[in-house]
Amino acid sequence: MAESDLSSPSLVDDLYFVLHDNVTGHPLLHSRLTGLALAGGVLGELMLAERVALDFAASPERLYATAREAADEPLTRAVLGHVIAEPHHPVGTWLLFFARTIYADVAARMIAAKLLKPPVRHLLKQQPPAPADMNTAAWPLARLNLTIQRRKPPVERDCVLLGLLDAAGCAQRVLSEHDPRFVAAATAMLPMALRRLIAQTKVAVGKAVISRR
Amino acid sequence: MSLTQQRPSAVTAALAEDRLGVPSIVFFVISAAAPLMVVAGSVPTAYTVTGVIGVPFAFLMLGAVFALFAVGYVTMARHVVNAGAFYAYAAQGLGRTQGVATAWVALLAYNALQLGLYGIIGSAAEPLLVDWFGASPPWWVIALVAWALTGVLGLLRVDVNGKILSVLLVSEIAIVLLFDLGDLTHVAPEGISFEGFTPGALFVPGVGAALATVVAGFAGIESSVVFAEESKDRHRTVPIATYLGIAIIAVLYAFSAWAQTVPTGPGGIVKAASDQGTELIFNQAALHLGTAVSTIGSVLFVTSSIACMIAFHNTTARYIFALGRENVLPSIFGRTSARTAAPISGSLLQTVLGLIVIAVYAFSGLDPVTKMFFIFGTFGGLGLLTLLTVTSISVIVFFSRDPRGETTWRTRIAPALAILALCVIIGLTLVNFDTVLGVEPDSILRWILPGIFVVAIVLGLVWGRVLKSIRPEVYANIGLGAQAVNGSAK
Repeated sequence: MAESDLSSPSLVDDLYFVLHDNVTGHPLLHSRLTGLALAGGVLGELMLAERVALDFAASPERLYATAREAADEPLTRAVLGHVIAEPHHPVGTWLLFFARTIYADVAARMIAAKLLKPPVRHLLKQQPPAPADMNTAAWPLARLNLTIQRRKPPVERDCVLLGLLDAAGCAQRVLSEHDPRFVAAATAMLPMALRRLIAQTKVAVGKAVISRR
Repeated sequence: MSLTQQRPSAVTAALAEDRLGVPSIVFFVISAAAPLMVVAGSVPTAYTVTGVIGVPFAFLMLGAVFALFAVGYVTMARHVVNAGAFYAYAAQGLGRTQGVATAWVALLAYNALQLGLYGIIGSAAEPLLVDWFGASPPWWVIALVAWALTGVLGLLRVDVNGKILSVLLVSEIAIVLLFDLGDLTHVAPEGISFEGFTPGALFVPGVGAALATVVAGFAGIESSVVFAEESKDRHRTVPIATYLGIAIIAVLYAFSAWAQTVPTGPGGIVKAASDQGTELIFNQAALHLGTAVSTIGSVLFVTSSIACMIAFHNTTARYIFALGRENVLPSIFGRTSARTAAPISGSLLQTVLGLIVIAVYAFSGLDPVTKMFFIFGTFGGLGLLTLLTVTSISVIVFFSRDPRGETTWRTRIAPALAILALCVIIGLTLVNFDTVLGVEPDSILRWILPGIFVVAIVLGLVWGRVLKSIRPEVYANIGLGAQAVNGSAK
């Protein structure tokens, strides 16, 4: 696995951009599902950076930390800190746990990194934080659309992005051309842990849809 | 998913914060059962159609049967977690093919229960509209308004908010009790009679029809176990909520059904119910307590019916979604609406079916209450009885392989007694199905409707076999619900 760093533009930032309008920053996906997708994104980011891994011997598979140190970046450090403190939870539990707060955390991080403009108030209604630069915001989705168009398997990180987008049930809505077989082929090339993470995100999304609340 | 760890955990504590306790689950399940709708809609209709005085006893008796059933049911819920409980249990207990057949029956039964509600909303709203505006549109116009509302809210995934639901439910129960009190203070000349509570008043010709209606009144209570994963304590919260829900419903319905007979006397109730229909209890209330109270009751009757419609619409849509995720239904049904997180295809399917049924009844001029609400209700009730029986059998088979530390009472005796009682009730219902439909005893129709369930079971079994041979990977996941996409073979 190519060692990637945790600096920006990160997988989570890309996912945030894909799940929001490039110009206005309006969400394209229900907030609850966005939370689950972003939680999957932050865990995926840590997996790609080889900071966490899955223990396949345990049933259900448990998430554990393989490194003590994240980058200087506070959000991933906080997430890794939680995993280090309680190494006995399965991925599904972590997704639910991080989904509660991650949406606001990611938005705050991206505002701090000047990827998003701070939210403004218009006539009592809080507007969502809009992307600082439309092109930066549009790039992740354009990248995905290009790979699909060319039928060329995307790089590993974009495979995760595509998988999570599909797991959240948003692929149909945002991709210019959604081919479930291409998504399946792209995610099938990923390491086991990332495939399980994507599948668990899809399970969590399904449960959220069925749940009465 | 194990959230119960021995040592205190920040993660467990944080997730536990928004878990459901006993009161929330009781509220959810009773509101799906819609007390005022049953007391004002189902009970008088049962008196009218069946002519059976023993409806109050039927509620108590079925409450006992449901409680007996619940013993095995909640025990199973501790070991099998799934949002579409019935077919998941059948899949785990009897096998995946049988699970598919059960899913088919469940879909049919819930659809019937939901669609039938479009028949009652007209008569619920009509008196109010006449009262306020002096005129009322035909029932199907009102039904279409309710249909549109349900369809839109279903797509927006607006479950009636928990707080609003609680307020509505508490007011409903309060008004039902108030009406009962009004009835009790206006005793018929012949004095108070407890005939409705005697078994003799129930076990007369027509008993089966009365039982099927009463079963439909309990529909919704079985949904308690789908909250297992979201409850504070799976081992305690769900069983307590289930038994409490059954007890509240059985006692409230029985008492109210009996109270309706007090002012008229047992001899006069069938005639009064036939003459006044769903307006019976409101007319009684207007007489005893004044028109203001009666009007509040009528408004709550409408809101109760709509809340019930939305609840059943969403239950059915989610059921379809779970089956779509498993690929038992085409995978398009497993799709979500990105913006609202609603199970979009299932919801749309429900809405389309609703329109068809309303249109058919509007054009054919059939009576919406006795021919639509009542027939769909009893048809759904019959399906529910079948599901309960299959589930009880599944419980016994499931635990016969491995008792998992559960007692014999929970895993064998109670489910066996429940099966016995349920089979008797199904038998009685089938014998009286002509009464339900209001047709001649030798009419072919009385066999066609129950036959639909037989067809569904056969088709389900065939489809299960087909899946097994052509798509074994789908077959392996049957009964897993949302978990199915995780795949057991991946």
